[in-house]
Amino acid sequence: MDLLDLIDAVQSVADGLLFGSTYALLGIGFTLIFGVMHKINLSYAAASIGAAYGSLLLLSGFSAAPAIIVFMAAALCGGVIGALVYFIGFKFIPVANPLATLMSTVGLLLLIDEIIVHTTEGVPLAYPALYSDVVVRLGQFMLRGDLMFVFVLGCACMVLFLLLLYRTRLGIATRAVSQQPIASQLCGISILKVNVLTFVVTGMLGGIAGAMSGAAIGMLSPLLAQPLTVKGLIVTVIGGLGSIPGAIIAGLIVGGLESLFQFLRGVTERDLYIMMLLFAFLVFRPGGIFARAPGRD
Amino acid sequence: MRILSVAAAALLAGLMTSVSGGALAQERTVKITGFGAKSGVVRVFGVNSEAAMKAAAEEINKAGGVTLGDGTKAKLAVEFLDDRCNAEEGISVIRRIASSDAFVAVGPTCSNVAESLFGILQKKVGDASDSGLQIPVFADVAAKGGLAAISEWAFRNVPSELEMYKSLFAWLKREHPNLKTIYGGVEKDFAHSNATYGVMKKQAEENGFQVLGTGEWLLNDTNFSTQVREMRRANPEIVAISAHPFTTCGVLREMDRQGVKPKLLIGLTSSSSIETLQGCAKQAEGIIIPTSFAPVTPEAKAAAENVSKQGGSMDLHSAAAYEIMFILKEVIESQKIMAKPDTVQADRNKMRQGLAALKETKGLLGTVGRTKDREAIKPYLYVHAKDGSWQVLHKPSS
Repeated sequence: MDLLDLIDAVQSVADGLLFGSTYALLGIGFTLIFGVMHKINLSYAAASIGAAYGSLLLLSGFSAAPAIIVFMAAALCGGVIGALVYFIGFKFIPVANPLATLMSTVGLLLLIDEIIVHTTEGVPLAYPALYSDVVVRLGQFMLRGDLMFVFVLGCACMVLFLLLLYRTRLGIATRAVSQQPIASQLCGISILKVNVLTFVVTGMLGGIAGAMSGAAIGMLSPLLAQPLTVKGLIVTVIGGLGSIPGAIIAGLIVGGLESLFQFLRGVTERDLYIMMLLFAFLVFRPGGIFARAPGRD
Repeated sequence: MRILSVAAAALLAGLMTSVSGGALAQERTVKITGFGAKSGVVRVFGVNSEAAMKAAAEEINKAGGVTLGDGTKAKLAVEFLDDRCNAEEGISVIRRIASSDAFVAVGPTCSNVAESLFGILQKKVGDASDSGLQIPVFADVAAKGGLAAISEWAFRNVPSELEMYKSLFAWLKREHPNLKTIYGGVEKDFAHSNATYGVMKKQAEENGFQVLGTGEWLLNDTNFSTQVREMRRANPEIVAISAHPFTTCGVLREMDRQGVKPKLLIGLTSSSSIETLQGCAKQAEGIIIPTSFAPVTPEAKAAAENVSKQGGSMDLHSAAAYEIMFILKEVIESQKIMAKPDTVQADRNKMRQGLAALKETKGLLGTVGRTKDREAIKPYLYVHAKDGSWQVLHKPSS
């Protein structure tokens, strides 16, 4: 590997890390819902992309709305879709059968995807990006302004979210329901309210993640839902189901490694190594990055 | 008087019955079944094909419809089924069509579906040992080269990308003799893009261009920085991208960011669409794409307007579906197809014979040749993106 290759390798990792903040946000959504309800919401990434589409629909009456307004609209739509997902896919499904909710969220994933496809005919739509023309050059290295914005926004969302979770009554209630649902009820916490708010808040995060994905490429396509679902799940497993710091770190790791493997091994092998990483975690660290090593014979 | 009234009423009723029966006999409807992707990310192709088929049927019906083998006139009606761009669904759809009284099917959208479902058709006509389906299938969109050779019941009205890119690279060599190096980019997981990139690369090499490398990505990728950095290092004079609008725009934007400015850009046929211009008109400025449709003739302009009224848009793919409807009308009339439930297999045989016998057909851009392998040789031209629209750059035949 010569110097240019080394520079390109570092550059690839940097690009991947910046884009990884999107994965981190999705991972937080997956992991928080699992943490509170002990159920996986497979429709989460599709709902996130749906929210980004929703923001375009919401602002269709305004010509050239600023990107930041579009992002906020995506968060709003994400919250609404999140609540809908809870009521359609979770609320009325028997608690005793966890597989039923898994299947209902698979159904919702396909439903949301098809709604997007039928509304747009599957045609990609232009999506606004902030700082898309800004490129910061540091010697041989180059950092994309839009991805840096995505990264900073992603980090800000994570900080806000952690503050919400650890510094507010809602956060305390959410963690209480996550840890001891029956005891929480006995203390007067409404599980329904906490569940709905969890879906709304994670939906808002997802909406921002969906908007960030669209902004990163400048276009929205229903094609995004499937890979983001897979990446979100991988991040959740690597980060540890229910671990928010784990989801953040895993999102960045997956983003960085994906880009590095793309550089080193090409597109046909790139995802293979990410999957191998997933299997390695499932076998050797099933609890995720921050879990203690499991005891073995 | 009362008896007279009853008799008059009976006579009137009898007359009305015979008149309406006669009218019904005059108003036969022939259903043409199309199929393709109407769900999933390639839904737009199915929507456009259906709209084009309906627009053509409306034109044909306005002009009096189609004359059947027994001399009666019939109107054409279009039914369109969804195969989801999935091979299993496609096979299920063609089996369903084959079990109906349809004497021809138009479709599919995706090459992977065409490849699989052509495989369940009878390979050689008259081979009693082959129990494959015996229904003519006329493909409008599935673009992978040579698919009709799979079965003698398979036909295509799809432009030959080999011919188009062969001509394009020869033209580039003539027009830009100073350009020598080329770098490719391909959506590796999409059959059409992948196959066409093979064609592009071969034609570039045969015309003396030096291929410096190839960037590869997937249909749903969002990050192209690594591929474009390699492209930048190669410093090519021409960049040829074989990808659909979503990733074409992603790559063009990344090239813009990294300052990769080739002297010439070449794109995939399917990217000569409005989506590319909606997504990245600025970055796509100047990209040259060969296509078998552009609204440059009065017929093509009118057809594009009619398809738009049916809720679709005309491009090289839907133009093929539009033309197919007129080809079917011609064959129905020349082969004296009856379109009755008891003549289904005979009609299918006649339709197949009629389609196989065609030496040329009328297309929206001019005469379309037909090959022995049941493929089309379509006229084409080169368009380039200019000021946010597709404009004709060169007509090779002129």
